[in-house]
Amino acid sequence: MAVVGVHKPWFGASVKEWIFTTDHKKIGVMYGVTSLVFFLIAGISALGIRLELFQPGLQYVDEDHYNQLLTLHGVLMQFWWAVGIWGSFGNFLLPLMIGARDVAFPRLNALSYWLFFSASVMALLTLLPGSQIRMMWTGYPPFSLNDNAGPVAFYALIIHLLGASSLASAINLVVTNLSMRAPGISLKKMNLFLHSFLAMNVIQILGVPALAGAVTMLLLDKYFHTAFFDPARGGDPVLYQNLFWFYSHPVVYVMILPAFGLISEMIATFSRREIFGRTSMIFAIWGIAILGFMVWIHHMFTSGVPDWIRILFSYTTVLIGVPTGIKIFNWIGTLYKGSIRFTTPMLYTLSAIFMFLIGGLTGIPLGLPAFDIGIHDSHFVVAHFHYVLGMALTLAVFGGFHYWFPKLTGKMYSEFWGKVGLVLIMIGSNIFYFLQFIVGLEGMPRRYADYPAIESWIVLHQLQTFGAFILAIGVAIAILNLILSAKFGKKAPDNPWESPSLEWLIPSPPPPHNFDKIPHMPADWDPYNYEWLKKHKGNY
Amino acid sequence: MRRAMLGLLGAFSLSFAEPLAEPAQLWDKMYYIWLAISVVIYLVVFIPGAYFLVKYRYKKGSNEEAQHVHENPMLEVLWTIIPVIIVIYLATQSFAFYKTQRTAPEGAFEIKVTGFMWGWSFEYPNGKQVYAFFNMFEDPETKSYLPFDKIPDMAKAYIPAGVPIKVLLTSQDVIHSFYVHPAKVTEDAVPGRITHMWFKINQPGEYWVFCREYCGTKHSKMAAVLKVVPKEEFEKWYGEAIDNKQVSLN
Repeated sequence: MAVVGVHKPWFGASVKEWIFTTDHKKIGVMYGVTSLVFFLIAGISALGIRLELFQPGLQYVDEDHYNQLLTLHGVLMQFWWAVGIWGSFGNFLLPLMIGARDVAFPRLNALSYWLFFSASVMALLTLLPGSQIRMMWTGYPPFSLNDNAGPVAFYALIIHLLGASSLASAINLVVTNLSMRAPGISLKKMNLFLHSFLAMNVIQILGVPALAGAVTMLLLDKYFHTAFFDPARGGDPVLYQNLFWFYSHPVVYVMILPAFGLISEMIATFSRREIFGRTSMIFAIWGIAILGFMVWIHHMFTSGVPDWIRILFSYTTVLIGVPTGIKIFNWIGTLYKGSIRFTTPMLYTLSAIFMFLIGGLTGIPLGLPAFDIGIHDSHFVVAHFHYVLGMALTLAVFGGFHYWFPKLTGKMYSEFWGKVGLVLIMIGSNIFYFLQFIVGLEGMPRRYADYPAIESWIVLHQLQTFGAFILAIGVAIAILNLILSAKFGKKAPDNPWESPSLEWLIPSPPPPHNFDKIPHMPADWDPYNYEWLKKHKGNY
Repeated sequence: MRRAMLGLLGAFSLSFAEPLAEPAQLWDKMYYIWLAISVVIYLVVFIPGAYFLVKYRYKKGSNEEAQHVHENPMLEVLWTIIPVIIVIYLATQSFAFYKTQRTAPEGAFEIKVTGFMWGWSFEYPNGKQVYAFFNMFEDPETKSYLPFDKIPDMAKAYIPAGVPIKVLLTSQDVIHSFYVHPAKVTEDAVPGRITHMWFKINQPGEYWVFCREYCGTKHSKMAAVLKVVPKEEFEKWYGEAIDNKQVSLN
């Protein structure tokens, strides 16, 4: 795959080129920067929340501002970070991994990004006085239709813009994946990241319309006097919950499946081995995707729905633990007889696996009504999803940032500062979120700005805040390392990790057109065939 | 089979003379069962994982390349089937406990509770009302929670100790949720519906109720206090026809 001619590095492009680009790599970078900026904004609002919860009483903000901060934190973290970040990895990597020059519909791809950008602007507008939304990310009526909640129009419009962006992107990337794979790259041989990314996009296509419907009904009820959710006129507020969660449960698999994909890529590279049980892994991805649509009532175990429905859905919910467990066992199996290198991305990957194990295991009791009846809407739930999203997903993503950093920039980050960042993130997160489980078990409700002066709660909250700040410092160091290394880092070889995966077989950073000629991958090539790479070193 | 398993559990569970509140003891059992299983699963994954990380780390000269490992379909089947059995067991155990947690015992004392923004009203069978407005729980200057002894008695819902209480719940406006802290039960208060839950508190004392569904500004102050008293004291209070609605939000 020799490169002909000279190309200018992607970051040398003019502002006009960035705005009008349809190049998947630039679009990926724009998604990444937007997601990361919003991750930091949501992180800062979290620090505000932690400061306020440090002691009982209201020291810094009043309840309305606290509720606004909390709504902002939830909405931004979920849609911009946990879902939005896949716009960066997916767009950047998919064409490179399948030997394509771009996605199937490059202009649609650009539209997807600019819809995402518009939603981002709208989200920032909610910081203005009078526009603040305080309905939490869930937006349940009747409260979300109440003036105390802030303008529903913002909430609904943001979700519609994000939904349109996601649907366009999902269709684009599914078509690309299915129809533009270079000769020799069968679905069976395809990178595991791409399998999970394909499943993620299928979930989006099937699920986003439900959420769009739910928020449209909110808009209609609020501004056009319909009565979907008004019991006085024959409506039912629980209807919203059903529609909302029908998408919002599968969306958590949209969030975590690509993270699993990243983990698979990195653990294979740094064990120098193919993923153990590769076929099982693919079945597990689809098992999770399909089962994910059959469990949403577990968010509504105390909502007044009939008991028999709760029991039924508790069976479907616990079954999702099985394909998830299969993935974890197979990752451990990948370490067996490997040749393991403890680079920064590998350490992030291992951390993600062990944190996901805890997060996943604590998801199981939440699927059991006999347990949920006591800790529904408590900090136990918050700790559970922070282990799986705040930790496992974020760790996998940061690992991915470090792993593909040399591909993107042609430079190498500092291993030392990479590890320092990770250690602080792990120490801070574990102090923070483990104690969050405990305060939840002790009965502390979620979405509370204040709490009674119960001794144990006070101590637990103070330690959590302490952990949160350590986590914040770790995040800052990790990001600074990447930014500074992009500017001042040592030049990296094209394939520093010696991976046979197709994106590593072209120069770093990639030329604008990716491949001089569409590659025809030989029969013995495989993205995890490290022996193939040794045989063909320097000659592919 | 289920009875045998429950019996086995009974042998291992910590048994006090009488739990502080019911049905919290079932929640406790569910928690300990899950916790034990989870710790075992965690170790089953962590210990081999840590071992492999040490044993198969890159060592120049002796472990420079990975060895070829055959797929093991038997292992895949095993670690599919065993987890299925474990999770189905957990869901079934939950089912068994849940039937008791959701069914009030015969002869339960019924109290109707209505949530609103922001407070709870309790209506007893004889028509007696207790109103717990959020501002009765909040220090007017600092806005922090008042301790039990500073909360006015008229805002407290008296409950007879050792008597099962069935709560019928609804809301006047938005969705709230009535969480009885010592009993470890919560159920949403939904406008347009009547939902239910039950609890029994055996030991006299004062206990928190918290709102467990976000409902706006005073969601974190929408508490109530259950003042659990011996039956005789309860009968006395119950007979007094005081309705504190006259003391509205000041």
